This record gives sequence, structure tokens and C-alpha cells, in this order.
Amino acid sequence: MRSPTALGWAAAFLAPAAISALDALSHRPSTQLAGFLYLFAVSLAAYLGGFAPGLVASVVSTLGLAYFFTPPRHDLIPNNGDQAGGVVLFFIVAILISQLFERRRQVQREAEAASARANRLQAVTARLAEAVTPQQVLDAIVTEGVEAAEARAGAIGLLSHDGETIDIVAQRGYEQNIFVGWETFPLDRETPMGRAILEETPFFFSTSAERNAAFPNMAGLSGPSHGLAILPLVVEGRAVGGIAFTFPREIEFDADRRALKATLAQQAAQAIDRVRLYEAERALRQRMTFLADASELLGSSLDYEATLAELTRLAVPEMATWCSVDMVASDGSIRRLAVAHEDPERIAWAERLGDEYPPDPDQPMGVPNVIRTMTAEFVPDIADDLLVEAAQGDERLLEIVRELGLRSAITVPLVARGRALGALSLIRDESAPRYTEVDLDLASELARRAASAVDNAILYREAERRGDATRALAHVDDGVVLVDQDGVVVSVNPAAARILAVDASEVVGETAIGAIGAWSEIDDNAKPERGQTRGPVTLPLVLVDGAERWVSVSGVDFGDGVVYALRDVTEERLLERTRSDFVATASHELRTPLAAVLGAVKTLRREDVSWDAEQREVLMDMIDREAERLSGIVSQILLTGQLDAGRLPFEDERFDPVALTKSVVDSAELHLPSGIELRVQAKDDIPLVTGDENQLRQVIANLVDNAIKYSPQGGDVELRLNRNGQFARIEVVDCGLGIPSDEQDRIFEKFYRLDPALTRGVNGTGLGLYISKELVERMNGRISVDSELGRGSTFVVEVPLAV
Amino acid sequence: MSAQPKRTEAGRLRVLVADDEPPIRLLCQVNLSIAGMDVLQATDGEEALELARTGRPDIVLLDLMMPRIDGWTVAQELRSDERTKEIPIVFLTARATANDRRRAEELGALGYVLKPFDPVGLAPLVTDVVDRCARGESEQLRRERPPELWPADLEG
Repeated sequence: MRSPTALGWAAAFLAPAAISALDALSHRPSTQLAGFLYLFAVSLAAYLGGFAPGLVASVVSTLGLAYFFTPPRHDLIPNNGDQAGGVVLFFIVAILISQLFERRRQVQREAEAASARANRLQAVTARLAEAVTPQQVLDAIVTEGVEAAEARAGAIGLLSHDGETIDIVAQRGYEQNIFVGWETFPLDRETPMGRAILEETPFFFSTSAERNAAFPNMAGLSGPSHGLAILPLVVEGRAVGGIAFTFPREIEFDADRRALKATLAQQAAQAIDRVRLYEAERALRQRMTFLADASELLGSSLDYEATLAELTRLAVPEMATWCSVDMVASDGSIRRLAVAHEDPERIAWAERLGDEYPPDPDQPMGVPNVIRTMTAEFVPDIADDLLVEAAQGDERLLEIVRELGLRSAITVPLVARGRALGALSLIRDESAPRYTEVDLDLASELARRAASAVDNAILYREAERRGDATRALAHVDDGVVLVDQDGVVVSVNPAAARILAVDASEVVGETAIGAIGAWSEIDDNAKPERGQTRGPVTLPLVLVDGAERWVSVSGVDFGDGVVYALRDVTEERLLERTRSDFVATASHELRTPLAAVLGAVKTLRREDVSWDAEQREVLMDMIDREAERLSGIVSQILLTGQLDAGRLPFEDERFDPVALTKSVVDSAELHLPSGIELRVQAKDDIPLVTGDENQLRQVIANLVDNAIKYSPQGGDVELRLNRNGQFARIEVVDCGLGIPSDEQDRIFEKFYRLDPALTRGVNGTGLGLYISKELVERMNGRISVDSELGRGSTFVVEVPLAV
Repeated sequence: MSAQPKRTEAGRLRVLVADDEPPIRLLCQVNLSIAGMDVLQATDGEEALELARTGRPDIVLLDLMMPRIDGWTVAQELRSDERTKEIPIVFLTARATANDRRRAEELGALGYVLKPFDPVGLAPLVTDVVDRCARGESEQLRRERPPELWPADLEG
């Protein structure tokens, strides 16, 4: 732009001079022609140099015209008024022409400036378009902005998330170290950028002195005086930061320059906004993806230990440099469940560190505190003094944590149903950006989902365990009743329902005393003290159905209630009673013949008596008979022992049941009491049977013996034989005392005796029918009884036919 | 046997033996007769009560497990009947438990003879019990452990 101006000045003098020279060449030059030529010269000067050269050219040309070409020639003063008017008119026209050209030049210059500005801004835009990462965008703004603003250096500062400080995020052109200590500085009116942001107003300082006047604290800055422009970056009516341009020298900020800076700031603000939006969206997408992945993971398995470990791995490295999960163990201690880091060595190292420095549950910060207070801890900036505090005076630990370069941390509690299950910790080191509120929200959401998943898993496990327990209890023969602290029945297993003769569904939810008839007995005798165990005690319970049962009960108080274990020992007690009856009976049964034998021997050996043959024979006969009886009882007892042990040999023979029955009757006839008659009634067509003939003989003999014993008043005993399908049926029928109907089922039991006190005068061990039943069943036969009290009994033995 | 106790007219002791087992009755009969005693035999509780009331025995040898009415009941009945309550009772039984023994004492038995027993010693036992009762020592006898015929080593 310089040369046209210089040319303009040259033209301003030379062109009129050249025209003036025409005077020497022409004898009578035309005044009009000269006037036009001069006007041309003025136009040339104004065109090339603008108004000033045009004005000079106009003056020179007017003088030239007046001196050389207006009569009188070579005189400045015109002849007459007309000529003077012509010169004045010329001058006016020349001035107008100059102005005309000046305006045209101005328009052209403005167009060029606008074009240049547009070009610069376009360059900025182009660079911004190429920028991919936020940092590239910021760098592009600074670089191109400095260029476009014709500044020496520039910097962008952005408000931090909390709005408290300004972070210098990009700069260009400054001396190194100028920002040391100024990477972040408080947002206040003490700094130009702070003030520009707070007031949302640009500041332009043409000189350092001007700046220092406004900001006295900057007076100490050295260097030559220079211009400074600082503008707020405004997005959607809100200042998000500021941009500063430092100029190489003092500068006058005309409207044009100010407008350009404003445009640059606006463009920067938009770019930053776009970047932020993009970043936010990208982060959001990333977080959503992470959260979706995490949710899927959490829902994938009930093995929450493994799932949480997987979750920590999922969080690294996008969400955290370190990610760990700590859980509260059943004893209240805090246990590290999982920790993830990009570098496996670091994990091992962290685990060692954890062993060395176990978490103190009363620690005022960190995981224990988060779990205790169920409140998240968010440390966006881990300052050194925080580390010093955390190390609690341990220099080595401090050194270790310092070396980790921890930058930012979030610890969120895993809370479900009002209970802290553990905590999730996310930590970033200096390689990653600081955590923001958004990250805290994400971590909280993640923790909520994780806690819910863990809680579900725990609930499921408990349910399953309870289910297992219920299933197990359903198959336990012992009754189990669970009663809560208030005495309300919580559960009753089928065995307990059976023992207590109640319907489980009707008593659960009711108080035990109200719903279970015999419960007060249990409450009085088996209810333990808090935390104690009581019993077992055996109680006779009279149940709602009127039945009496002996039940062994023990109670265990587990804090929230009492578990009662019930066992029906009625059978055992009955067995015990029959066994003690047996001992008494067997004792009686053995002692009586023994007394007879021994007594007879002692008597026979009396030396003060001489026995005649008849007396001796009576006593000897007694010894014989009673010794036989003794032997019979002993063999019954031995036989029972053999049967119980399964050691009785068994012959599989084919034999005729009719012949067998007849031979038994023949033997019995030998010492038949008076008043009894034995009869055998057999069908003709009874085939052979299979079994042990000798054992069947014992059975029939025993039944015949019983029939005789239980017919003390005498009467007929009849043996009937017939065929019943694939069985031979032998009935032994008497018309003696008979058996009460409620005892008919039990007479085949071991030791069971119809009349333990022998008041009906019938002796026996209570083993005969038990032995008979065992023997018959071993032959694949069966035995049963049909009887009416006072009318006699019919015992039926069926043995399979031989095929 | 210096002081003569109350006797029947013939001067012989009359002993009621109540037992459903014929061999036991026979042994008692043989051995007591040799000692010059009269023996009344009952085969069940009912008969024992009847004979005790009508036969006026000096002593009853009573089995416990008998048809119809058991020995416990017989002893109770004898104790509660004015006519028979002074008759000394000696149990003669195969029941060997401590419980049975205690119960026998409670019923006022003056002897507890456990089967098997030595029938030869039966007569001296009977004489001793009857004599001491005649001397009014029945309470003292009751407080002592009832005499037995055989040591307890045969007990179950």
C-alpha cells in the first residue's frame, strides 16, 4: 500500500510540473487544454496517493494554471475577474476530484481490509475445521487468532468446572516460563482476563502504562511497552473463558481492530462451545456405553464377586486408572474384593500395599468413611497436603502415594436397602483428566446398579439357601419349628406338623401358644434364654386330636427367635416300655422254672429227710419238665437274637403242610390240659408248599400252644387247612380269651405281650408271635389274626405253594 | 424259738402259699410240711384273699404275678381288711427290681424272697417272722431290710 501513496505524492508534484513545462513549448497554449491536463494530473495524484497528494496537486496545478496559462502569462495575478473566477473554479474542481478519488480509494481500502479480515478469519476457520481434539481446537484458535490479530502472542483461559478458577488451556508466542505458576489462577478482578470474564467486557490497552493504570499489580512486568487486548469468550450469553492478545508494540485499537478481535473471540467461543458439546456428547456416549456394558455385566451373573471384579476391569482405562471394589464382610471388616489397573504389576503392588496398610474402619476419609457414612467422596484435585494427611506421618507411605501421581478420585458407597455393602473407588492419575461432577454422577449411578445387583445376588443366595434349608427340612424326620421373638410361628416343617398334629399353613403367622395346642408345655419346659440352648427334654404332649405323644424337644435361641427341634419318641418310649416289660417278663419266665429246678434239687438233697420213690419221682419229674421249659425260653431268646442278626439258617424245602400240621397236633396231644380238644380239618387238594419245614413246625406249634394257653376255661382248638390261590392257608382257631382289637396289630411286635402282669395267668416271653411272623415272612408267607375279645382268636398262616 | 408264738390248736403254724406255678407250691408244701407246718395253697389272687379271710393263716407267702388279682393288690386288700391286716406277708417272687422291692416294703411286707430260692430255708424264715411279730417286733422287722433266702447275686 505504500508505493501507490508515494507515487501519488510524486504525481502531485511532477504531473503539474510536467504540464507547466508545456508553456515553454507552446507559443500560445490553450488555457482550456492546460486546465484539463492539470485536472488529469490532480486526478492522477489523487488516484495514486489519495486526498493529500490530490490536494497538493490541486494547489500546484492551480498555481501552474494561474502562472503559466492564465493571462497575463508568467504572472500569478489574473488579468480580470473572469480569469480569476476560472482559476478559482479550477481549484474547486481539482479539490472535488481529489476528494472523489479519495473516497474511491477509501472504499477500495475498506474492501481490501474486509477481504483481508475475511481471509484471516477464513484461515482460522479452516484451521479449526482441521482440528480434531479439543486441544487442537484451542491451539488452532490461539495460533490463527494471533496471526489474524497481528499479535505477538496469545492465550486462552477457560473457567474451571466449579467456576472458581481460570485454567490457561492454550497459548502461543509467549516467552517460556511466563505461565509458570499461572496455569491456574483465581477468577477475580485482579487480572485482566478475570475481569473481562466477570464483566463480560473486552479490555484494550494500547500501552503497558494504560494496562498498569487499570491493573497496578501488573506494573512489575518487564519488557517494552506494548498493546494488550483481552476479550471474554461468551457462549449463550455466558462467559466461559477469555482470550488474550499481546502485541509487539503499542497499538491504537481502532474500531476495525476491535471488531476483528471481537470476531476472533466470538469464533473462539463458538469453537470452544462446539468442542465442549462434542466432548460432552462423546463423554456421555462413552459413559452410556460404559454404563450399558456395566449393567449388562451386572445382570449377567449372580456370582457378584466375579462380576464386580469384571466391572473394575471394565472401568479401566476409560473411566479410571485405578478401579477397586471393597466389600463389608459379615464380621464388619472391609475386604478388598477386586482391583484393576492397566498394569498387572501395579495390582500386585497395590495388594501388597493393602496388606501392609490395612484399611482402618475409623479412618476419617476414604473407603471406610464412605462405607460408614454411606456418602460419596469426590476429590477432583488430589492436592499434596491431602496425601500428607492421608499418610498420617508415615514418610514411606507418603513417598509411595506421591509417586503414584494421583490426580483425581471418586469413592462411592454401594448401598442397598439402607445398608452399605461396600464401596467403589475410581482414581485417575496424571495421565487422565480430572473427574467432574458428571463422572461423580456416573460413578453414583454405577454404584447404585452394582449395589442393586449385589443385593439381588445376596437375596437370591439367601433365598436359595433358605429354599435349600426348607427343602432339607421337608425331608428331615425331626420336626423343626421356627418361632420369632414375639412368639409367632415363622415356619413349621412337615415332620413338626405331623408331630404336633397341626396344619402348617394354619399356624404360620399365628402365635405358637394360640395356634398349637400343646405349645404351652413346650414353652414352659424347652424355651431357652436369649442366645441359649435348652433341652432336649422329653415331654408328654396332649395334642388337639386328643392323642398323647411323647416328644423330645430342644430349643435354640438365635437372637431373632427360637428354633425348636421336635422328635416323636412315642414309639421309642413304647418300645422301651415293652423292652423293660420283656426284661421283667423274661426274668420272671426264667426265674420261675429255675426256682423249681433248683428248689427241687435242694429239697432232694435234704439230709434230714429220707424220700420214698414216689416223692423222689415227683420232684425228679418236676426238674425234668421245668428244665425243658427253661431250655425252651432260652432258645426262643436265642432265636430272636439270630433273627435280629439275620443269621438264622433257612432251608428251602418242599413239604406237605397237612402232614406237618397233623404231626404238630400229635405232639401237642401228649400233654394237653384237660378240657381242651384239638381237631384238624384239611381239604383234600392241598399241594406241597415251599419253605423251611422245621421252622413252619415251630410256628404252628407256637400257635397251637398259644391257643391252648389263652383258653384257660378249656374249649376246642381247631386247625383248618385249605388253599388260597398260590398259598396254603392254615388257620388255628380257638374260642378262648380273644385279643382286644387295639392290640391285634401289636401282638406280632417283639416283646409285646398281651398281659405283661400275667393277671390272666398266661405266661410267655412275648417273643413267640414275633418269631412266628419273622419265620413265616422269610418263607414269603404271611401271618395275621382275627379276634374278638371273649370269643376267641383265629390265627392265619399262609405259605406259598411249591411250583 | 424260746417264746412260743401264737399257734393253731394243734400247735402248728398255718402258712398260706399263693402262687400260680404248681412247682413252687409243691416245693413250699413239701418243705414246710417237713417243718411241721400246715400249708394252704392258693393258685391265684382271688383264692389267696378268700383263704386268708377264711383259713386264718399265721403268715402268707405271696407271689406277685398271678392270674386274676396280682400279689400287689392282694397285699393291699389284706392290709385294709380288719380281719387280715395283722397277718405278716412275705413276698415270694421272680420280680427282681429295686422298684418292686421298695413297693413291697411300702405295702408292709416283712420278707422278700426272690426266686429262685432255697426251699429248705423257707421254714426257719417263716418261723422267725411269725415269732418276731408275736413279740410285737413287726415294726422293727419292717424297718430292717426284709429277710431274704438267698444272696442278691442272682438278681438281674
